[in-house]
Amino acid sequence: MSVSTLLENWSDYRHLHPVDDVPHNPYKWAMSIDLDACSGCNACSVACYAENNLPVVGREKFAHGQAMHWMRIERYWDEDISAPGGRDFPDQGAQFLPMMCQQCEAAPCETVCPVGATNHTPDGINSQIYNRCIGSRYCSANCPYKVRYFNWYDYPTTDNVWPAEMNQQLNPDVTVRGKGVMEKCTFCIQRVTVAKNNAKTQGRLVRDGDVQTACQQACPTSAISFGNLVDPESKVYKQWKAQHVELDKEAQTKDKEEGGSDLRGYRILEELRPYPSVMYLERVRETAI
Amino acid sequence: MMNSGFDRRDFLKVLGWGGATVALSGCGNGSVEDGKETVVSYVEAKDYVIPSISVYFNSTCAQCDAGCSITGRIREGRVLKLEGNPDSAINRGKTCGLGQAGVQHHYNPDRVREPLLRTGDKGEAISWDKAYALIAEKLNGVQGEEIAFLSGGVSGHLKVLLGNYLESLGSRNHYVYEAIAPAVLRAANQKSYGAEMPRFSINKAKVVLSFGADFLGSWISPVHFSQQYAQFRKGVDGQRGVLVQVESKMTLTGANADRWLPVRPGTEGILALGIINALGTASGDIAAAVKDYDKQRVSKDTGVSAEQIDKIAALLKARTPSLVLVGGAAEGYAHGSQNAAAINLLNHVLGNVGKTIGVPVSVPFPQMSPATGNTAALQALNNSLAAGKYKVLFSYAANPVFTAPTVMKFKDNLAKVGFKVVFAHYLDETALQADLVLPLDSALEDWGTQVPEYLAEGAQINIQQPLMEKLHENTRGMGDILLALVKQRRADAYKDFDDYYAYLRNALLQNKDALGGSGVDDDYFWNDTLSKGIVKLAGATGNLSGTASAVGLTLPPPAAADTQYPLQLIPSINASLRDGRHTNQPWLQESPDPLTTIVWDSWVEIHPKKAAELGIVEGDIVEVTGKNGSIKVQAYLFPGIHPDAISIPLGRGHEAMGRYAKGYGVNPFQILDAVFDKETGELAMHETRVKVSTTGQRVIVIKDEGPVGGKQMGRKIAVRVPSNKIDLSKEI
Repeated sequence: MSVSTLLENWSDYRHLHPVDDVPHNPYKWAMSIDLDACSGCNACSVACYAENNLPVVGREKFAHGQAMHWMRIERYWDEDISAPGGRDFPDQGAQFLPMMCQQCEAAPCETVCPVGATNHTPDGINSQIYNRCIGSRYCSANCPYKVRYFNWYDYPTTDNVWPAEMNQQLNPDVTVRGKGVMEKCTFCIQRVTVAKNNAKTQGRLVRDGDVQTACQQACPTSAISFGNLVDPESKVYKQWKAQHVELDKEAQTKDKEEGGSDLRGYRILEELRPYPSVMYLERVRETAI
Repeated sequence: MMNSGFDRRDFLKVLGWGGATVALSGCGNGSVEDGKETVVSYVEAKDYVIPSISVYFNSTCAQCDAGCSITGRIREGRVLKLEGNPDSAINRGKTCGLGQAGVQHHYNPDRVREPLLRTGDKGEAISWDKAYALIAEKLNGVQGEEIAFLSGGVSGHLKVLLGNYLESLGSRNHYVYEAIAPAVLRAANQKSYGAEMPRFSINKAKVVLSFGADFLGSWISPVHFSQQYAQFRKGVDGQRGVLVQVESKMTLTGANADRWLPVRPGTEGILALGIINALGTASGDIAAAVKDYDKQRVSKDTGVSAEQIDKIAALLKARTPSLVLVGGAAEGYAHGSQNAAAINLLNHVLGNVGKTIGVPVSVPFPQMSPATGNTAALQALNNSLAAGKYKVLFSYAANPVFTAPTVMKFKDNLAKVGFKVVFAHYLDETALQADLVLPLDSALEDWGTQVPEYLAEGAQINIQQPLMEKLHENTRGMGDILLALVKQRRADAYKDFDDYYAYLRNALLQNKDALGGSGVDDDYFWNDTLSKGIVKLAGATGNLSGTASAVGLTLPPPAAADTQYPLQLIPSINASLRDGRHTNQPWLQESPDPLTTIVWDSWVEIHPKKAAELGIVEGDIVEVTGKNGSIKVQAYLFPGIHPDAISIPLGRGHEAMGRYAKGYGVNPFQILDAVFDKETGELAMHETRVKVSTTGQRVIVIKDEGPVGGKQMGRKIAVRVPSNKIDLSKEI
């Protein structure tokens, strides 16, 4: 692909998945996360380790930035905390943010994969084909959210990752990844697949509530919702609609209103045009105290 | 994909329920194709074993005492994952990270697998027959009062059986010890409300004022309170609940507060009285008790501004009902009971008692209700051990050698016991001091019943049942061991019960009528009970009888400046690691601490201002020295702590236990001073004063946050909106 073709035919290369003549039908998986409910407790993260056969890399490798937490809790302080002239104490608490693959519709990781190992499924999940991946790590370099994790080691054979008995916990529905491949959050595609198959057997579509992701199922404050964005009956559809967040916008109409929107829904780094499938709801802080 | 030594065929080859070895046909390139292995299909599959199809069994989480009901996902005879059971009023289908890691307790490679008898420094594997015979021999001729049993919190039929065993021995020395327990709170609640654990309704409150109660992290029943918290935030009619947290070191709950107030350590009670004073609605002896606590004085004592005190009072007046909570941060002083009493008084003054503080329910079988642990029990046991009172000691679900402050010399005193039996999952610090170690089944292999201390709605008895076959042949359930032991004394009374399963089944069936099974066939009732995993009961409700009174309430002035030891040491409680009993579960080691994002190690939190004063930067190895020893640990600059305090998390610093726990971090229990709450005798965990000095060494702190230390650099990443700008009632 030459640069000139790329520039001339930009919209062909950088478009929403799937293309206009084949809309999301019947599924488009999406999420919404209420940051006012999220307490930052990490239950989702541990649940993800349990569900998706994530290796525990240990102290040394964690120090090298090789942690494999598909779902991580980011903790932010206000900009002025401990800054010159700023506040000494975070007296409005911290900001917690569960961060995982945002399953972008125009995913920056997909366009740079030299072997097409990461691509889009018709139901709107950014998939990772492990046995096609050659480990170039371009996708990770290009991911604005830094949610792709590379297997620098062959964890199944690494000491104390899955020693005897521990390996019996591995989820047979999820591939155990070997050295040299990239991995990331899949929206628990193994659970989605089961739900789709069950629905198909019964001659219907997946209904809201048929499938929960592991993080959503564990979440003690029910901050995470997951479902089908093209199903008007789904909670995720209703939430996105109520918050005036549209999947195919790089800047939401509501944000252009004078004085800004009074709705909480937003997507992270939307302006980069990856069209992420995860909507967050802003954390609220009381003004009377 | 799966190459080099990790054999997919071994991975799929598992034990079925009946123990038949089965390999699955189909894809793969293992040794079947080479003719080295035979594929054996089930001629007749065992019940519930269909290759590739998961089945689910209900049980109870045993990672802490909150009593969340869980559903285990089992495939081909292996338990793979634990989910919450939606039918339980406690957790309603939810779990915490600690609960998720329950499978790693079960599959842990460092579990004890054989009974071990001490020979010199080594443990020699012996048979169970020999172990039981040895216990019988050692108990022979020993008086009942020379025998003691140390345990963590126990409830249900295990507690009954344990009580029966001690009775058969003629011993009344049951010490129930939990290193981290709201024991001061229980006593204070008993006085204030007439109930140790009333029901708290965070979800009905419009304002929650919490004095260090980490109800989202580790306080009493965190998964239950997290759900209440979510409802509280949604509010009624869009009126979102407001959380104000008062504490010297920010907890997870503090990090979620609308207003977090760093209070001078130990002055929580003074602030509570100051708020009562500012409310101006109290009368009688309460008004008299708070009249000296005017804003200026309280502000000077606590470090909370007068303006802030006014705002809190105004908010509490404007939005009712509210709820005031007491947590470990207020309890942990020599005047902890007084602190708690002062804070509880606020609930009376605000009229919350009967609204957001409700009548507790209890299980109508008092013998099964939990024996809750505390630290006064440790002190009592330690004194008796020091006096050489005991010849035989049993220890179950406690690790006092790790959790007792070194100054108590618990390890030395323990050595005075002639014969020490430890029931253990791991060879932890206490098990290493034992003469006989008896290996326990994991919570996912064992039978049991459990009654939580905090019951969410109605009363319930939780059922624990095996989710898969035992991994190790020579581990035993605690109930089975106790049954075998009690049979040594009273063979006749227990001769009908081959095992603990039979005992449990019989016990529940005998009370079938009371358990909601009247007129139901025995087998049906039993299977139905197991399948549900919970027995819901019409609970016995008590009364809230406490009176609002400030009689006897005296708070000491804030601690005077101490030039030798200028800082207050706050041992903090991490929601995953708690008192360190689960540190060998690697998911928990690698799960970042929510506030510092540090993994696999301990740290000391120092306020950036104090650190600048002391010349400390992040990663400096500092020596924290108190009257009773010192520890060296990496420094982390943390804005969420009072500058006069430092904090080190509990749970790490194991010298034994297993590969994922041993050698990681430091153990702040070691340097705690033996100061006790004056009323309850509980260990005052926050009363240790220390100094901090640099050692000249520096390390890179291993943490998840980025190099800029959790700033968003102007990007819209995690966003906050003021409450007056939004309307939650429109939301879905």
